[in-house]
Amino acid sequence: MAIHEKSLIEPDRLQTTESLVVDGVDVSGSWNTMITPRYLRDYDDDFEKTIQKYGGGENVHRCWQCGSCTNSCTMYAQNVQFNPRYWIYLTRLGLKDEIVKDKDIIWQCVSCNKCTNICPKDVRPEGVMKALAHWMEDQGITEKSPSSHFDETFWEEIYHTGRIEDAAVMMGFFKRTNQPLVQEWLVLFGQRMMKYLPVSQLLKMGLNFIVTPRTKSWGKTGEVLKAYVEEQKEAAHG
Amino acid sequence: MQDTVLIVGAGPAGLSAASTVTASGYKAVVVEKEEILGGAPIISGYAKLVPSGEWAKDAIGRMVSRVEEDSGVTIHKGAKVESLDGEVGSFTAKLSNGETVTAGAIVLATGFTHFDSINKPEWGFGTFEDVLTTTQMEQMVSTGKIACPSDGRVPERVAILLCVGSRDRQIGREWCSKICCTVSANLAMEIKEISPETDVFIYYMDIRTFGLYEDKFYWKSQEEFKTKFVKARIAEVTASPDGRLLVKGEDTLVKRPIIIPFDIVVHAIGMDPNEDNPEIAKVFGIGLEKHGFIERAEHYTNTCGTTRRGIYSCGAAYGPETIDDSISQGAAAASRAVADLNALVQKAS
Repeated sequence: MAIHEKSLIEPDRLQTTESLVVDGVDVSGSWNTMITPRYLRDYDDDFEKTIQKYGGGENVHRCWQCGSCTNSCTMYAQNVQFNPRYWIYLTRLGLKDEIVKDKDIIWQCVSCNKCTNICPKDVRPEGVMKALAHWMEDQGITEKSPSSHFDETFWEEIYHTGRIEDAAVMMGFFKRTNQPLVQEWLVLFGQRMMKYLPVSQLLKMGLNFIVTPRTKSWGKTGEVLKAYVEEQKEAAHG
Repeated sequence: MQDTVLIVGAGPAGLSAASTVTASGYKAVVVEKEEILGGAPIISGYAKLVPSGEWAKDAIGRMVSRVEEDSGVTIHKGAKVESLDGEVGSFTAKLSNGETVTAGAIVLATGFTHFDSINKPEWGFGTFEDVLTTTQMEQMVSTGKIACPSDGRVPERVAILLCVGSRDRQIGREWCSKICCTVSANLAMEIKEISPETDVFIYYMDIRTFGLYEDKFYWKSQEEFKTKFVKARIAEVTASPDGRLLVKGEDTLVKRPIIIPFDIVVHAIGMDPNEDNPEIAKVFGIGLEKHGFIERAEHYTNTCGTTRRGIYSCGAAYGPETIDDSISQGAAAASRAVADLNALVQKAS
């Protein structure tokens, strides 16, 4: 028999089999479709702690579900699926599978911070959205966002040389995000620099791009910095 | 006798009333049906009280010894008032122990009865050993060890179900018992303190930690003791094959049915009218309000009054009440009773 309410059931809960025997009775054919129940079966008691270790997620345990964040939310006004209150609740109870279902919208937070300003318990929901987005990136649930790629390129440049070489950061970013290294606007930009910048400056820039000099005494300073970064990572995420 | 107030019940309200009567220069006769004084906090073995954080046996114990050492108080334990004659200024009460008490005014500090969870069988009390009431959990806290009654293991998870015997038309209990939210938040903190590896979940419909209890109990339990509050009224508690309990309900914030495993389930039981209230109403000739608690007189100018002149009441006899407010009301009712005696003295002179 057909299930008439199929439209009300998430497709992944409809289990259709070629042949099916239930309690020794062959129910293949028109009785071959089963619906898996919607029960939530358990909580992940440690998940809240995981999110609290990400910057911005520290206060998530304070939430009492008043809904101020969602009703003030810029994105909620566009898309009712964008519901910070709900994700905070899921985070508290460790209902990870439910959070992952919304992986394609959580990152859409525009950081207007209306939620953080209005929250009566100082949960800082905007930070929680960031923390969740970062957790999903770390878990490989979502692809890295362009901004994460940029951050990483930028950071690695400093990490290795103690300074920022704009052109190198730009090229690194293009490579990571599979963009062509030569882009129309970039060509125009280069042409205008050639035209208006003093020759000595141009030479210096060109040289820097090729040899990428390090900050003076970066060897020792860099090591201290690297050690500190490792220490902080260890402290935050074990 | 025009210099005596009869006080029925020796819980926080009655003890407070007795001390107030003698401090005003009159005599008090206390009639208590149990063999020990102190009322519910002592008889049921409460742990730390809200909001003072003091152990019940210390705090209420102090009230008991103050009354016991008071030469102006006569105490009848294990006794009930069986009949009452007379009127304000000249009541005569016959007690079940054969004694007769004459008094000018009466204070009924007869309190409440804990809801009996057997009346909500779907929540597993009486069926599963690891389903407890808040009073039983308080007794466990008092022992300093949190363990499943069934096999003594340390619980990974404890669920506290709010509104058991409150706000429930199915069982004729339409009132909010007022104190259970705060008591449960307090209990959650006590459990976590004794057993840090235990996670406590409170299943609620609303959280009613009124007044100053809000941040001192609700917020604190959530922010410092990691208590989790889940919005769901539980449908039933069953057992899973591995010996744990399964809590079934609808999480109304996720809009999904839940079946979550727990090790201990605690019923936050409400406050029923004292089971003796029909008898009390008959003996003392007073009215009961629609839920079965003692009916309050017009409150604004007849504070602590009942439907009968010269008989006053206080605390949980009127309806769900906190211990602190019961103590204050006991003192207030005693003042009303003493004022009656004083008026008689003035009239006679």
